[in-house]
Amino acid sequence: MIRFENVTKIFSRGTIPAVSNLNIEIPEGTICCMVGPSGCGKTTSMKMVNRLHSITEGKIYIDEVDNSTIDPISLRLDIGYVIQEIGLFPHMTIADNVATVLVEKKWPKQEIGKRVDELLELMGLEPKIYRQRRPSHLSGGQRQRVGVARAMAANPPIMLMDEPFGAVDHIARVRLQNEFLTLQEKISKTIIFVTHDIDEAIKMGDMIAVMREGKLVQYSTPEDLLSTPADEFVANLVGGNRSIKRLHLIRVSEILNRKVATVNMSDTLEAAKKHVIENAFNVVYVVSDTGVLNGFIGKVELKQEGEFVKDVYRSYPEIISDEATLSDALSVMLSNGESYVPVVDDFEHPLGAVSLEDVFKAVRQDD
Amino acid sequence: MTDSGVNINSAVISAEESVSPTRRFFIGIQKSGPVLVPLLSLAAMIVLIIYMVNNPGGAIEARILNYGNVLRMFREHITLVLVGSGAAILTSVPLGILITRPAMRRYTPLIDNPVNVAQTVPGLAILALFLTIFGLGFRTAIFALWLYSLLPILRNTSSGIQGIEPGIIEAARGMGMRPWRILIRIELPLALPIIMAGIKTATVVLVGSAALSTFIGAGGLGELIVTGIDLMRPTLIYTGAILSALLAILLDNLLGSLERYLRER
Ligand SMILES: Nc1ncnc2c1ncn2[C@@H]1O[C@H](COP(=O)(O)OP(=O)(O)OP(=O)(O)O)[C@@H](O)[C@H]1O
Ligand SMILES: [Mg+2]
Repeated sequence: MIRFENVTKIFSRGTIPAVSNLNIEIPEGTICCMVGPSGCGKTTSMKMVNRLHSITEGKIYIDEVDNSTIDPISLRLDIGYVIQEIGLFPHMTIADNVATVLVEKKWPKQEIGKRVDELLELMGLEPKIYRQRRPSHLSGGQRQRVGVARAMAANPPIMLMDEPFGAVDHIARVRLQNEFLTLQEKISKTIIFVTHDIDEAIKMGDMIAVMREGKLVQYSTPEDLLSTPADEFVANLVGGNRSIKRLHLIRVSEILNRKVATVNMSDTLEAAKKHVIENAFNVVYVVSDTGVLNGFIGKVELKQEGEFVKDVYRSYPEIISDEATLSDALSVMLSNGESYVPVVDDFEHPLGAVSLEDVFKAVRQDD
Repeated sequence: MTDSGVNINSAVISAEESVSPTRRFFIGIQKSGPVLVPLLSLAAMIVLIIYMVNNPGGAIEARILNYGNVLRMFREHITLVLVGSGAAILTSVPLGILITRPAMRRYTPLIDNPVNVAQTVPGLAILALFLTIFGLGFRTAIFALWLYSLLPILRNTSSGIQGIEPGIIEAARGMGMRPWRILIRIELPLALPIIMAGIKTATVVLVGSAALSTFIGAGGLGELIVTGIDLMRPTLIYTGAILSALLAILLDNLLGSLERYLRER
């Protein structure tokens, strides 16, 4: 648990406080998103937790211990830290970057190697390929993954993440967010997650702290933030169309109830035809021998020349996992140009489909 | 997860496998460059010395160009350069590290300015200046050469460290690295190419400056050049000049190898 008690930060005397009288409590195992415009004091608040900045007034308690009484080095060794600009060490390999804290903690070499591989795998980076690479030879998204892996290396109970997914495009960010949420369900860290993207805050946060000019404007759950914004500033930040924002809050898995029949590549078109006619969207999924969703057959494909499924099937430009939000689902529908979106599990085995109608219904129910 | 890194990697490997024999030959030369160039310059020096001793081209030249004499001057020259730049490295690198410590930043000008001024005084004048204090000989020469190479090494050490992206240092601090660990694991490795560039520049310049030491009786290859000027014997001038040029190339390359070794460690 992290608790800010009347925390104020003044960088130099006479200037206005970067953070003033901040009071928040972040329960064990939850994500607190700090959100607000640039310069509102998010990074400053976070850096006072691991004492990169001193506190001018007030106290920060970590598990009921005043953090100013803890030696800064051991404090930092036990708090994961993902910096705003990633801050990977360019002269070190990925493995050495990830191992930084473990080396400082004097872990035995063998265990470090094992842990590094474990972390790289956890972050979806094949150790054999990436262990010996330099950060400059990674994509932006991969670098962010390494940054997160490095922060988690010694399995710290607390993580400070300063715009950890800030430097990548929207699609990569959505994927990183979903993966991280799935991970968090398993690891249950206490996390301060700084972002200036309100959509990201709504999606990632168990609680959201909205800040403005160093002051806390509202501290509440995402649902409360959307339904009862504290003032006009928060209402503007959240944006006009709040039911659209609510799409970020609902997972596909929560509303998934449509099954779609599947056929194999080697099945005949005749067999597929029956399913297509019965299905609400007039499609049948085409799966490989291992059950992976390869594509679909719809009415158009049925009319084409060919005897077997494999001769005429078409693949989807985009599919989504059941961990995705309704907002992700909606945007895939738009880009696929269909009124439904295929949903798959972690192994890309089809789970069913979500339709535009399902999405509408979910948002209306929530009202 | 289908980030494209995997494909790029396999592309690189296959490209390496499919190079033609001629290309491989040139790649081989490139790779052996670190060994080849020092060996070549060393060989050139030996050949030059043997040739000049056996073909001095005149009686006066022959008296000066004998093995004992040339090797003595050569040894003196190398000693001047190595001791001078060695002493400069041992003072400038720690000083450069010191003035980049956060607590010391505001004293930086206090050290920077005198060193800057020292650099603007011509080498010959420095020699003359210290002559009056230390008298003739080796020690004066070493002192002047040391003073002369302080600046490039100090400058490069401090700017190499200061040039590191602040985010990198902050990440290291935030992860709980102690200041001296940050220095050793992050700052020095990242600043190494720039520090080494300063050391290389200083050393190469020193090979030239050391030739002036002969004016205060410290010997070195400068003796060959100055004698050549006095006696109007160009052969002596060329021999001295080419030998010191080759020595500069040799040292530059050896330092380059040292840098590569340090970086890969
Ligand atoms: N080291 C510092 N010295 C002086 N002032 C600082 C320092 N760091 C931050 N500030 C000031 O404190 C205020 C809050 O900065 P902070 O970095 O916390 O903002 P932020 O909310 O993280 O913004 P962003 O979204 O742009 O990262 C700003 O006005 C900034 O100029
Ligand atoms: Mg910030």
